[in-house]
Amino acid sequence: MSKLKGIYTDIVKIRRMVFAELARLALKDAECEEFDKIPYRIIDTEEATYRSSIFKERAIVAARVRLGLGMDYETNQEHKLLSEGIRNFLKNDNQLKEPLVNVIRFACEKCPTNAHFVTNNCRKCLAHPCSIVCPVDAITIEEHAAVIDQEKCINCGKCKKACPYEAIVNYERPCAAACGVDAIESDDYDRAKINQDKCVSCGQCIIACPFGAIADKSMIFQLLKSIKRGEDVRAIIAPSFVGQFGPLVSAEKIVASLKELGMKEVREVSLGADFASLHEAELFAEDIPEKQPYLGTSCCPSWTYAADKHVPEVKDNISESSSPMIFAAQSVKEDNQDSKVVFIGPCVSKKLEALSDRVKDEVDYVITFEELAAIFVAADIELTKVDAEEEIRDASYYGRAYANAGGVAEAIRQNLKEKYEIDPPITKADGLAECKKTLIKAKAGVLDGHLVEGMACEGGCVGGPGTLLETTRGAKYVTKFADESPYKFAFENDKLNKKDK
Amino acid sequence: MVKVEICVGSHCSLVGALNILETLEKLQEEYPEQIQIERVECMDMCENIKKAPVVKVGAELITSAQTQMVISKVMERIK
Repeated sequence: MSKLKGIYTDIVKIRRMVFAELARLALKDAECEEFDKIPYRIIDTEEATYRSSIFKERAIVAARVRLGLGMDYETNQEHKLLSEGIRNFLKNDNQLKEPLVNVIRFACEKCPTNAHFVTNNCRKCLAHPCSIVCPVDAITIEEHAAVIDQEKCINCGKCKKACPYEAIVNYERPCAAACGVDAIESDDYDRAKINQDKCVSCGQCIIACPFGAIADKSMIFQLLKSIKRGEDVRAIIAPSFVGQFGPLVSAEKIVASLKELGMKEVREVSLGADFASLHEAELFAEDIPEKQPYLGTSCCPSWTYAADKHVPEVKDNISESSSPMIFAAQSVKEDNQDSKVVFIGPCVSKKLEALSDRVKDEVDYVITFEELAAIFVAADIELTKVDAEEEIRDASYYGRAYANAGGVAEAIRQNLKEKYEIDPPITKADGLAECKKTLIKAKAGVLDGHLVEGMACEGGCVGGPGTLLETTRGAKYVTKFADESPYKFAFENDKLNKKDK
Repeated sequence: MVKVEICVGSHCSLVGALNILETLEKLQEEYPEQIQIERVECMDMCENIKKAPVVKVGAELITSAQTQMVISKVMERIK
């Protein structure tokens, strides 16, 4: 997990301020020219605060505004007001398109890529074990210190371990270190570049970059415009939502606040999780091991993209079942045909899932908790003071516990035990790098007979890049809320049809 | 004993109050007898986010609070 996850930095502040500004302008039906003022509203000093120049600071905010509206990244090679591009975008389809996660190239500080360096802790000792353990003879003892020949070095780390003075460090690009699928490369100027053929849009690099040079696109503006147009917008909210808006804001208050914002209804995505866990238990009971060697879960889009892009041989064994998001959205649309559905969650890659041909008619918008918190501020909704009476009881204990690592497999296992008397071996991949390793193991046949859970974010969905709470804290709220559920098992849920149980 | 009131309203939560709270709670585990934390509703002192997050350490009001600032004020008082 990135070291920056859960720490509130100026990068987080600027990102959220941009979201709040976009929401503010959407809500007041502002003219396009208003967008030109955002960089000046957010960077309102006379001298630079964060970077080498105030003009660069504002240009980066402008790039964030474009991405925040869902527009593509653009190189600054042509004289153009921010509002000109925005006007064209809004006049056309104003649809967010791939790539979802983008490097704001001129914000990238070109960190050196993975390398071992000798720091000035080196005492040029007589033993110099570093050079002795080096398997490629890359270390020489020069006049003042040991020196690593970067051409020869294979980054094995043996010298670092051998040094008695902690003098050797392994320097990694934070974005690349956070990427579990090695999708970060360098462009011609040595800036980070995302290889879209490898990227699974998990969003961890967004959190990891200490210069705030990576951002994803958002649908804040599109969602709020839809509400403003008077459309029948209904929300489905992912199980990690509890606690994300502060310790005094109960799940019920979050639901009431969403209604105050203009949503006609709010359902728990955990309802879809109950549906999905039953469906996947049925698939497992029917197909494993006769028709299919093992079953991978379906709910994490980055996990399924990792299979598609990196280990395509296993693709067919990742469940074809729809994700909880899709099931929850379908249940809303069955009851309300002309409605628009917004998925609210911790997840960046759900934005991409919602754009796919299979899902685009079910889920209209995806926003993160962080984006929603900014929307509440822009709409001047004070969550601690909202009246909430309505109880929410859409899902079972195991459906609500989906948001924690291990929760998905456990929910499916409980269904298998109770309904089919099967207790399968379980393999859990926690974090994207683990996901990739697990997929490779699955391909090798090591996981035959297993129920395989993949979660691209460490800790599960509560570790998602769109959360406000530190991961373990979010996990505690999820467990507590699951304990309050009216049902234990998915098949006890009154809100599911008989045929689905 | 130092009492810390931390606003956890919409504005303050967006700009870091939850992170300050988390660090404070960890500090409280080390000094359970000396720190009292009160999570409070919006105190209307953030002037529409400009001065958020708002934290009170004892009688001292801190606006645009940052974690390191709050923690050091608390430590001053318990030492």
